Amino acid sequence: MKAAPFAYVRPATVADAVAALAETGGDGKVLAGGQSLVPVLAMRLGRPGTLVDVNAIAGLDELATTDVGLRVGAAVRQRRLEHEPAARAVPLLGMALPFVGHRELRSRGTVCGSLAHADPAAELPAVACCLNATLDVTGRRGNRTVPAPEFFTGAMTTVLEPDELLTAVTFPLARAGEGFGFAEVARRHGDFALAGVVTRVRVTDGVVAEAVLAAFGVSDRPVVRDVTDVVRAHGTETGALRDPMNQFAADVVDTAGDAHGSTAYRRRLFAALAARELAAAYRKGSETQ
Amino acid sequence: MTQTVRAAADESVDVRLTVNGTPAVVHVQPRVTLADTLREQLGLTGTHLGCEHGVCGMCTVLVDGEAARSCLLFAVQCEGADVVTVEGLGTPDAQHPLQQAFSHHHALQCGFCTPGFLMSAYDLLAHRTDVQPDELPEELSGVLCRCTGYRNIVAAVADVAAACPEGVPEPGNLGERTLVGRRAGDMTHHAPERSEQEASRAPERVAVPSGTPTTRVDVSARMTSPVEKVWDVLGDVERLAPCLPGAEVTEAIGEDRYRGRARVSLGPIRLVFNGVAQVIERDADRRLLHVVGQGADAGGSRTQADMRIVVYEADDGTTLHAEADLYLSGRIAQFGRALAGDVSRRMFEDFAAALDEAAATGSAPARRRAGLRLAVGAALAGIGGVVRRLALRVRSEVRRTS
Repeated sequence: MKAAPFAYVRPATVADAVAALAETGGDGKVLAGGQSLVPVLAMRLGRPGTLVDVNAIAGLDELATTDVGLRVGAAVRQRRLEHEPAARAVPLLGMALPFVGHRELRSRGTVCGSLAHADPAAELPAVACCLNATLDVTGRRGNRTVPAPEFFTGAMTTVLEPDELLTAVTFPLARAGEGFGFAEVARRHGDFALAGVVTRVRVTDGVVAEAVLAAFGVSDRPVVRDVTDVVRAHGTETGALRDPMNQFAADVVDTAGDAHGSTAYRRRLFAALAARELAAAYRKGSETQ
Repeated sequence: MTQTVRAAADESVDVRLTVNGTPAVVHVQPRVTLADTLREQLGLTGTHLGCEHGVCGMCTVLVDGEAARSCLLFAVQCEGADVVTVEGLGTPDAQHPLQQAFSHHHALQCGFCTPGFLMSAYDLLAHRTDVQPDELPEELSGVLCRCTGYRNIVAAVADVAAACPEGVPEPGNLGERTLVGRRAGDMTHHAPERSEQEASRAPERVAVPSGTPTTRVDVSARMTSPVEKVWDVLGDVERLAPCLPGAEVTEAIGEDRYRGRARVSLGPIRLVFNGVAQVIERDADRRLLHVVGQGADAGGSRTQADMRIVVYEADDGTTLHAEADLYLSGRIAQFGRALAGDVSRRMFEDFAAALDEAAATGSAPARRRAGLRLAVGAALAGIGGVVRRLALRVRSEVRRTS
């Protein structure tokens, strides 16, 4: 279990990183925390010719609250964000981060790395999608900003070009009347989820103004659905939401079954978690109006 | 850091980091993990490797104060990092409270996962003083135990959490010492091997070791020569060096520093340490000599010694007393403290006998084979155990020469 030989570049600026990636002609990978990438290398599932280590790039460890939201640079570790007081303004991060691997992995793993790796069962991509976070990308052709739901294009596949670097993600801060829910079922704590849901419900004057659901571990990418109409039509109690979520499940859950659970089991799991967490998000939203 | 750092796939680069309080420079190719570097280059085999892809947690160490998988970090990423391994946590004589609790609760069966659990538990308790017992199974889920000894592990950590409400004590074995490993060169065969001479090249400067020594030797020997004569030999490196079993001085490099070689031959073991010794104190009034030395063997074994020798007049003659702190690392450290202590005491007895002879004759003792030298010491000591060991030794000598 040793990685195949690779060249190593540790640039000091984003521009140098992009140039280094471009130089490799598609044979380079970005190394941030490495907590997902290095196992791939160790098992020789991947043999990139060059790793571009972005940990020393000035400014990428930035963690700041802007007027748009909480901006998390590409070198910010998950564990730092977990304990960052400013991150409480994005309650879903505090709810989801303890489920990202183990403490020992979060101490190195980065938030942006988790997004760029785009594992379909990972928590943070679903959180980013549910919140409609924006991702800042820099490449040779310049900068662009991508909304999270458009960023993920398949299992471990994103819109990032080989010479592009995800430099930061901005999570919108919770607004008044917004409540959140998060739940996942995994065989063991720290394992990838069999199914998981992230919910956000905004309540205005006691009425559901917006309800969004993101599911993970159920398809080849996070599945985002606006469920405002469903919640308005069926109410905000777990029991009342269970039936519509069961119907939703056939559309949302398209992963094949495996030894840990059939597709049908995962659909039931999704429906149960979604109904419960939508109700929970509504309750919390009502309290914060 | 303002410049781009580059290393080709087959190129080894120097990485400077601190390991258990000791600055270290390792020479690695990009693909070499921190775990392999700790084990292979720095001789810190307490960090275990299980799955080598981040699942099992055996290789957990502290990197800049937080637990991390050393199999998921490349050493080349660790420039400037502060790494603490299980060796830094405590010492055999002063175990960390977590180690004591693991021992008390029998929180280990085969022991393979223990370093990982200790480092993970330390990280947990160092960062959270409010952790509740019912949180522990989840908090400790980053390390696997295949003996399924989890209940005892959780009980041990719960004990320490309850006993240290203000936070768990810092690692107790951090300090400057020799760190070094099994192979002095780079770990891949693509890179040109550094020559043995280069690998074990004697350093110019001698560091005074700190931290807990591998073993401490405190011995006295009676001598027949008068105190002044013995002190004369102690003050004359030319005459003193030949008295040291297996040692020779190859060069005086000034400031009372000497480059030399020491051979240790023990059963099948043959080590040649190239090193430097430095006299840091000569106190003629107390007749005290304080010497520090360090040496490296081409195989990656390293040793450091901090030795005080004093000769004084007792009621019934001259007595030579030595206190030495010995620090061993690399392969030689695997002998354990007891054997290292035994061997060191035997060498001291040889040394005392040779010194006595040099003091009596006024010249350096004739150079003898190390085996013979041990025989002289044994005869003088007249101890049955030594004679038995000597007999074993002679048998192995015979096998070796036949």
